[in-house]
Amino acid sequence: MKKLLVIIRREYLGRLRTKGFVISSVLGPLIMIGFTVVPGLLITMQTSSATKVAVVDLTGKMYEGVRESILTSRDEEGDRREGGRKNEPAQPAVVKPGGEAQLQQAVQSLSAQYEVEQVATGGRPVEEIKNELNARVRRGELGVYLVLPEKILEEGRAEYYGRNVSDPITTSQLRHSLNRAVIEQRLREANIDQNRVRQLSKNIVLETTKVSEGGLERDSGGGFALAMFVGLFIYMAILMYGQVILSSVVEEKTTRVSEVLFSSVKPFHLMLGKLAGVALVAITQYALWAVAFGAFALYGVGMLSARGMDVPLPRLPFSFVLYALVFFVLGFLMYATIYLIVAAMVTTEKEASQMAMPVIFLSVVSIYLAFPVIRNPNSSFSFWVSIAPFFSPITMLVRIVTETPPFWQIALSLVVGMASVVFFVWLAARVYRVGMLMYGKSASLPEVLRWLKQS
Amino acid sequence: MSENGVTLALRSVSKKFDEFVAVDDLSLEVRAGRIFGLIGPNGAGKTTTIRMIVNILAPDSGRIELFGELMSERLQDRIGYLPEERGLYKKMRVGEQLRYFGELKGLTAREAETRLDRWLERLKLSEWKTHKTDELSKGMQQKIQFIATVMHEPDLLILDEVFSGLDPVNAELMKDVLLELKAEHRTIIFSTHMMSQAEELCDDICLINRSRKVLEGSLREVKSSFGRRAVALRAEGGDAVLKDARLVAGVKSYGDYVEVVLAEEADAQELLRRLVEGGARVTRFEQVEPSLHDIFLQKVGESA
Repeated sequence: MKKLLVIIRREYLGRLRTKGFVISSVLGPLIMIGFTVVPGLLITMQTSSATKVAVVDLTGKMYEGVRESILTSRDEEGDRREGGRKNEPAQPAVVKPGGEAQLQQAVQSLSAQYEVEQVATGGRPVEEIKNELNARVRRGELGVYLVLPEKILEEGRAEYYGRNVSDPITTSQLRHSLNRAVIEQRLREANIDQNRVRQLSKNIVLETTKVSEGGLERDSGGGFALAMFVGLFIYMAILMYGQVILSSVVEEKTTRVSEVLFSSVKPFHLMLGKLAGVALVAITQYALWAVAFGAFALYGVGMLSARGMDVPLPRLPFSFVLYALVFFVLGFLMYATIYLIVAAMVTTEKEASQMAMPVIFLSVVSIYLAFPVIRNPNSSFSFWVSIAPFFSPITMLVRIVTETPPFWQIALSLVVGMASVVFFVWLAARVYRVGMLMYGKSASLPEVLRWLKQS
Repeated sequence: MSENGVTLALRSVSKKFDEFVAVDDLSLEVRAGRIFGLIGPNGAGKTTTIRMIVNILAPDSGRIELFGELMSERLQDRIGYLPEERGLYKKMRVGEQLRYFGELKGLTAREAETRLDRWLERLKLSEWKTHKTDELSKGMQQKIQFIATVMHEPDLLILDEVFSGLDPVNAELMKDVLLELKAEHRTIIFSTHMMSQAEELCDDICLINRSRKVLEGSLREVKSSFGRRAVALRAEGGDAVLKDARLVAGVKSYGDYVEVVLAEEADAQELLRRLVEGGARVTRFEQVEPSLHDIFLQKVGESA
């Protein structure tokens, strides 16, 4: 028992001091914070110079409306969002709408500033005006010009000329603005009260509310992004620490340290010590990340919003943090024991990474399984997938985030997971004991089966 | 420490891997305070035997008794094992590495620290304590491995090719240390296929070939029981005498002397008398024992 502690201490402390651990401890929170802050930064960032739009108005009566429409389009979008917010007084309890709207807003602000000028036609032929404008566009004096034909109100067609016609944001914004101006003009000409129309055609706001065990929770759809984020995060951590196990076991085998160690301690203790030591490293990292992110949530967000930056921070109940930790450790142990078996079978690092491919494939599959689970968290498919070993750490967490299943299902998933960890540790112990002393060539599957019988 | 003088006893030990018999019905006794040479060609079953002694492998049948007890995990702390293939963590610092190995043998961190300092000084490696292991030369790593084997003061040492990779100066240093350990009444099992080393150091030997024991006993007994008598001779003249088949069975030439193998029933005194009478000038006449090397070759040849 004392020796087991000695092994765990070496595996744990030895790894905390590695560069890799320090780097990922620092980078992890930076990346997470980056994901939440960058959209905010984009919003506050002043864009480059405004796009110059020239309007060739052949109708002679549209220019003012179009100009108005182009210049006000951005503010109005903003107004609508504000309106939506007012109807929604409480912040969602679980998840705030993700960065999507934020990002849109940011993208818009990058390109939504325009300067509008009217091109005097002066009775000249349209072709001549176009040539002149084309030249200005080529010289870079002008971004875009629009030609409004005489019959624009009846036929609903206008022309857009610009150096970059594949920029979807500018074209669609100008199309919207033009559209609005044309409709207003039509309404005006038909003597219909525009304000009344605006009032009557007001968009509705869809409020989404999550019905879960704990009561009603306001959720505006950000759960999807969060579930995916959590799934990917666990997946990466499992892969990373599985790889740590793999290479450290292969090292002990290729340097023949294992033979010296086996003459001092039971192979089983060595294996357990390694699993426990690396698991503790993983938990430490998890805790560091959680603390860093928590500190950011407490202080950083306050500071940023004081400077006028809105940071969409996912808000999670504490129970979820615990579940994530438990399933993370469980997932780590499942995959780590498999990595350990692989490592005991091979003789070089290179073979190890080849043999580890199926394991990686297995974890990739659970990421893919997360998609149908997110869309339909309570289907029987989701149920079975979140109970199955190897898939459960990711899929069950995704279910907990999206639509928390009854507790007995979570418990069942944990029990099945732990039972399979016990089984794989038992299996790994047998393969490990024999495999670590076999040099020369990698073992085939039939050989491994013989080892199992041997021990 | 040594119950009735026997440190280690193997009784009818066998080990099979699938159909391959690695060790077949092997019995031997290693006496306390002696250096025991376990010799044999490659693939004879030496490594498997050693792995069973250090409790890495369990025998299929038979008993292994250490200090009068059946081999167990607890007894592992009283053994020091230096495997033929060196095993050190490359990226670990020398001091930390040795402390770890010491602790795995049941030392406290503090005990391990003082002992490893003492040993590093003894083997002239003190300035390397904080270096990473892979910065050390092969010979130095070998000495580090040796410290890891002896620092917990085991009663039984098992050394597999302990001199490989050492230059003559370090080999001599190592030899001194081994003799010191022997003087402290520790038992040493010494496995090698360098017969000259075995001959120089071992009190007892056991030769195994093809998973079976071929020869066992003290070096002296083995040599004297080996029915071959020879004389190292350096002389001018007397060639006719050496051709007498009643006296001489064969002559081998070694640089400045010849080795004369006596015929059966012949007497070395008789040979010397005849040589002197024949007018030869004898400058060297020495009865020699067969070397372990010769015994090895002959025995392995016979059992093949």
